[in-house]
Amino acid sequence: MSKQEQLQNLLGELKAALPELREIIVASADGLPIAQLGESEIATRLAAMAATAHGLGKRIATTTHLGDLMEIVVRGNQAYFIAYAIGDKGILGLTTPAGSNLGLVRLEAQEYAKRLAELL
Amino acid sequence: MEPLKIIITGPVGAGKSTLIRTLSETEVVDTDAAATEAIGKPTTTVALDHGTLHLDGHLLHLFGTPGQERFDFMWEILSQGALGILLLVRADRPDKLPAARNILDFVRSRAPVPYVVGVTHLDRPKVWRPEEVALFFGTPLEQVVGFDPRDPAEAARPLARLLELIGT
Repeated sequence: MSKQEQLQNLLGELKAALPELREIIVASADGLPIAQLGESEIATRLAAMAATAHGLGKRIATTTHLGDLMEIVVRGNQAYFIAYAIGDKGILGLTTPAGSNLGLVRLEAQEYAKRLAELL
Repeated sequence: MEPLKIIITGPVGAGKSTLIRTLSETEVVDTDAAATEAIGKPTTTVALDHGTLHLDGHLLHLFGTPGQERFDFMWEILSQGALGILLLVRADRPDKLPAARNILDFVRSRAPVPYVVGVTHLDRPKVWRPEEVALFFGTPLEQVVGFDPRDPAEAARPLARLLELIGT
């Protein structure tokens, strides 16, 4: 199985674990799309924005002595965008509707970020 | 003293982050990430650089943008409230001038303020001189400054010129 197929399978498993997820993207730390599930037209843009949010989040975490950055959350009144570092290899970004069980999303997403880190 | 917001922009690898690190009197906020494209350097700015500088009696807030077009939303965000634009271009990469023009048009459509073109990497072989860069942009030569952003003695020159144009 190619690496791209393995990535797609992992994202598919994440989607199966959290069916309410709308977009799932994997981006490089410099904002290039690596893999995605969901609306393709925004994935490229979301990859760049995930890298920006993550890069800025890391700086905010250092400047304000928060320790290591664990997640970025953008909360709208209809949905969330949440991003997790995939080690130092990239970023896992996802959108999920308001009312989602964020504890569960966090648990699953961090687990998949670990598995993605082994793959990348 | 009212701080002046200056946006420092231009294609990837032009020297934007270097310039802010050379000049800033306060700790620089930078947002480097490992580059996965062949851009001739190991890291690239993904959000912004920020530094401050006192120059000719003014406090400047320098906001550096990412260079790649995929980060154009940061060009837009950082353009808000800018009073001057410093566009950096590499003298040895004339192939990137159209991308630089695209950035300049984008930023000036959001912030129609004075701008200076800073020409870097003039120590490389086969370069475009500032006069040629001025012709490319159709910009008066007095708005085009060749300089080395690594050199503390030179790095403020394009900003000093920009302050004259802003007319503060």
